[in-house]
Amino acid sequence: MIEVNGIKKKFGRKKVLKGVSFTAEKGEITCIIGINGVGKTTILNAIMNLTPLNGGEILIGGEKINKHSYEKITFIPDAIIMQPNMTIAESMQFMADFYDSWNQERAIELLDFFKLKEHEKINSLSKGNRAKVNLLLGLALDVDYLLMDEPFSGIDIFSREQIAEVFTSHLVEDRGVIITTHEIGDIEHLIDEVVLLDEGEVLKQFNSEEVRETEGKSVVDVMREVYQP
Amino acid sequence: MNRFAKLLNFELSRFMKLYLVLVAMTIIVQIAGVIVKTNEYMGRANQTIQEDGLSIAQFVEQYGAMSFLDFTRSLWFMGPIAICAAALIFYIFMIWYRDWFGKNTFIYRLLMLPTARLNVYFAKATSIVLMVLGLISVQLIILPLENTIFKSMLPVNFRVDMTIDRIIDWNYLSMLIPQTFIEFVLYYGAGFMAVLILFTAVLFERSFKWKGILLGIGYIAISGIVMLSPVLSMVFLNHYYLYPLESLGLQIVLGIIVTAMSIWLSNYLLNKKVTV
Amino acid sequence: MNVNFNKRDPVYVQVIRYFKEQIATGVFEPGQEILSRRELAGRLKINPNTAQRAYKEMEEAGLIYTERNLPSKITKDEHVLKSVRQELIMEAVDDFVHSVRSIDVPVDEVLDLVKEKYESTSDGEEVQND
Repeated sequence: MIEVNGIKKKFGRKKVLKGVSFTAEKGEITCIIGINGVGKTTILNAIMNLTPLNGGEILIGGEKINKHSYEKITFIPDAIIMQPNMTIAESMQFMADFYDSWNQERAIELLDFFKLKEHEKINSLSKGNRAKVNLLLGLALDVDYLLMDEPFSGIDIFSREQIAEVFTSHLVEDRGVIITTHEIGDIEHLIDEVVLLDEGEVLKQFNSEEVRETEGKSVVDVMREVYQP
Repeated sequence: MNRFAKLLNFELSRFMKLYLVLVAMTIIVQIAGVIVKTNEYMGRANQTIQEDGLSIAQFVEQYGAMSFLDFTRSLWFMGPIAICAAALIFYIFMIWYRDWFGKNTFIYRLLMLPTARLNVYFAKATSIVLMVLGLISVQLIILPLENTIFKSMLPVNFRVDMTIDRIIDWNYLSMLIPQTFIEFVLYYGAGFMAVLILFTAVLFERSFKWKGILLGIGYIAISGIVMLSPVLSMVFLNHYYLYPLESLGLQIVLGIIVTAMSIWLSNYLLNKKVTV
Repeated sequence: MNVNFNKRDPVYVQVIRYFKEQIATGVFEPGQEILSRRELAGRLKINPNTAQRAYKEMEEAGLIYTERNLPSKITKDEHVLKSVRQELIMEAVDDFVHSVRSIDVPVDEVLDLVKEKYESTSDGEEVQND
């Protein structure tokens, strides 16, 4: 389980996170939704210890993050995080060199699934394909938790469908996934937990299937209630 | 291969293309320089001898024979060295900033490697030092070659021959190319320390942005003052307490303290303060 | 396999309903192997935990059964199969009656119209289903 306990973050005088708390379980897809403002990416950065906090703490499986954690949790940011002049094969080699948890078989399966060509250079790829490479490099690690920043934004519909397909496949299964999005759109049926964020605060956390079952509401219905009371 | 070695290899290969360009530029410009300079001299000699009706001996007496040092003091020789030095000093900063700037922020990957972040820092520092050493090795290798070309370009009575040892010794080159092992350790130890101080300043900036620039500059200033404190105290007190050897020892101790401080601070910043 | 899920009913309930329809119309035959929960999730683009939930409920209701580690199969229990069909028919009739009653039409008129409509469109629908 990932436990985010009252984290606070200021950028200059602006309070971006004002004591954010939520949990994300292994085997579930947790979606952080924020319709406006910053904060979503900051939360993911903070979980990965990529930005310092002004308060609160984050535990991953009961532990504070350390260098060994990066074999158990990985982050797929919005932008590609490889040297752009590398080929896909070279980036895969880079990952294999540094991570014990790299799973080459799965990497090749993903390559095939996304129909990517190994010898292509990253900077020659379309935005959709870059997102796929990004996903490939993260998903091919045998980690317990995957964090993804806006995996569906700014890419073509077919890439989006393909990525959605990955979420439901064995490539993701049994891992804990946290994704951020500003638009729930067509992924409503893909996610388990929903964390509604606004102005640096968590307004509500709920299970999407549960809210449909007990209240007969869609995720968007709940969002409407919470964001426009 | 452990992760540090892999990182070092990675850092070196990232700069390799530009680095090879620097090496090639140095070789080409310097060798061209030998040829141009000697031709110039011979042209002037021939012209003067003809116009003024001098003998070779009279010309050499009046205008001097050409030595290899005349070449090493020219822009043809110093230019490439200056460009390489500038490029590497620039790269001390760029080796970090290139990971943050641009569309592909590689720093995410580097900070998320399952290894101590200090390894990233040491890999970058080591690659800078290795690249400096590499350039100096290249210079050492091409010096005899240039000297040979120099000799072949000028008739023996127009030139003053020098051995490579003397060429280095007689020159600012002795700054770059230490003559003894102790000098080597001292010079390059100091160089390594300087790189670490600058790295620490960069990390201050990366951690605290605008305030970080001030902190970084402050850190560089404090390091400088600490390193110069023995000299400064002697100047201000106008009294020399220490024998040269003691003074050297003190300098080394201060150097080690500043280096350790830089590493400790950088480790702290990389783990607790730095932001992507 | 393409299901249009609505966003307000639990997805697992909609999956079960889809299975019942397929069973009632004979698309899923008794004893036929069904997709694994993972395959189903992928095919319907739904959360694998939801697919799991649907299978669990269907297993408990006796709609599907699993022997050892083999893939799950559609039940062969005549009684269950019959009741599925009955249930769907009743649901549809209930809905129909509910909406017809709201516009206050006499039952004989409705029945004639239903018969007429049903016979004239059934051929067309058969073709569409193929």
